[in-house]
Amino acid sequence: MGRQARKGRPVIAGPSAGLNPVMIGGLVVIVALVAAIGFMVVRASGGGSTAAGPLVAPNGATASGALPIGRESAPVTVEIYLDYMCPYCGRFEKANSAEIDKLVADGTARVELHPLNFLDRFSQGTRYSTRAANAVATVADKAPGQVLALNRVLFDNQPEENSTGLTDTRIAELALQAGVPQAVVDVLDDGIHSTWVTQSNDAAFASGVTGTPTIKINGQKYEGDLYTAGPLTAAVTSAAGEQ
Amino acid sequence: MTTLARIRRLRHSDAWIFGTMLFSACLSLLASFVLSIDAVVLAADPGTALSCDINTVISCGTVAQSWQAQLFGFPNAFLGLVAEPVVITVAVACLGGVRFPRWFMCAAQAVYTLGVLFAYWLFYEAMFHIGALCPWCLLITVSTTLVFATLTHVNLRDGNLPLPSRWRAPLKSAIAADLDAVVVTIWLLVLVLLVVSRYGTQLFA
Repeated sequence: MGRQARKGRPVIAGPSAGLNPVMIGGLVVIVALVAAIGFMVVRASGGGSTAAGPLVAPNGATASGALPIGRESAPVTVEIYLDYMCPYCGRFEKANSAEIDKLVADGTARVELHPLNFLDRFSQGTRYSTRAANAVATVADKAPGQVLALNRVLFDNQPEENSTGLTDTRIAELALQAGVPQAVVDVLDDGIHSTWVTQSNDAAFASGVTGTPTIKINGQKYEGDLYTAGPLTAAVTSAAGEQ
Repeated sequence: MTTLARIRRLRHSDAWIFGTMLFSACLSLLASFVLSIDAVVLAADPGTALSCDINTVISCGTVAQSWQAQLFGFPNAFLGLVAEPVVITVAVACLGGVRFPRWFMCAAQAVYTLGVLFAYWLFYEAMFHIGALCPWCLLITVSTTLVFATLTHVNLRDGNLPLPSRWRAPLKSAIAADLDAVVVTIWLLVLVLLVVSRYGTQLFA
């Protein structure tokens, strides 16, 4: 019982304890913080909503929501589901883009790009995934020869997750670098195909895709190593041999 | 006795202080356990996390794969598995009426202060360098703060810390006037504000 006596209860129960100037200052700070948090929450939950534009599919887009690149007669179709904000798609691209360019150029494969936008929530409300995917879809519509080049520069300059993403101006610069004509670059930030991107995104997940990058070779999910050059090329070449 | 006085009396009771410590330490242990399992699964098959899943809530597993997550060459969460049971033991013993010697409480304070610094360094790194938010890591940040607050509360109240004598009385009366509760509340609210302003869009949009 000695320890009960040692604790000095009378001090705590003293009548003067409670509202001194420091305490009042502290309470004011607490109220201000709670207000600031409430404000941020309201702003965050309202900020993401944008009016959906009309649905405009890019020229040549497949019914499943993909942008085809390469010869229609190619024996192998390689479908690539990606999001420009996904760091693993960046790694996939780094490892395989040169090989894919080769396979498309020599007529072995036709690539179908599925640019998704489910990682929009990682760009602090700027919807980077949608903006990047729309830019690629716009180029597919108006300058189809430059799609893979734009795809590559976007990944070479990939922003970090949870950053604000690349600005529209920066995307335009990169598109010019990739050889997209100025007239097309000028309309990249118009969001012409934004609604189509969202629809393709939903279609991809409805079809059973669960994440990015997902690669399908002639409709079959590729389960091999995605992050070193070689294995994917081998799988594509062997699929071509089976035809 | 007014309600306010009753609440204040409860807040200064050993049952409340060590109960909070026990509860917070259990939360830390739970989070450490979850993160350790994740780390082991990830180590066994690095491929499992190598994609951005549709269900990815906060980020694509980038926190667990950063170098900061294994500062000492093993997953940080293992430290929690080692340290939190000690805190739980101390809290339970104190709830049962055990009084530890002064040097013991001083050592506990010193070691736990290191733990808090580590937790906040990780919080800072996750927030501003790794750029990913991990709910279990956040839980550890909060529960570590609460354990630290309760430990400091007890040690200041009982005069366990080797502080200059002219500091003792003001600190003790600040505790008695509940200023520590105000400080901890402000501290936690600042954490919430930081998280909401940095990740608000992905949490609520």
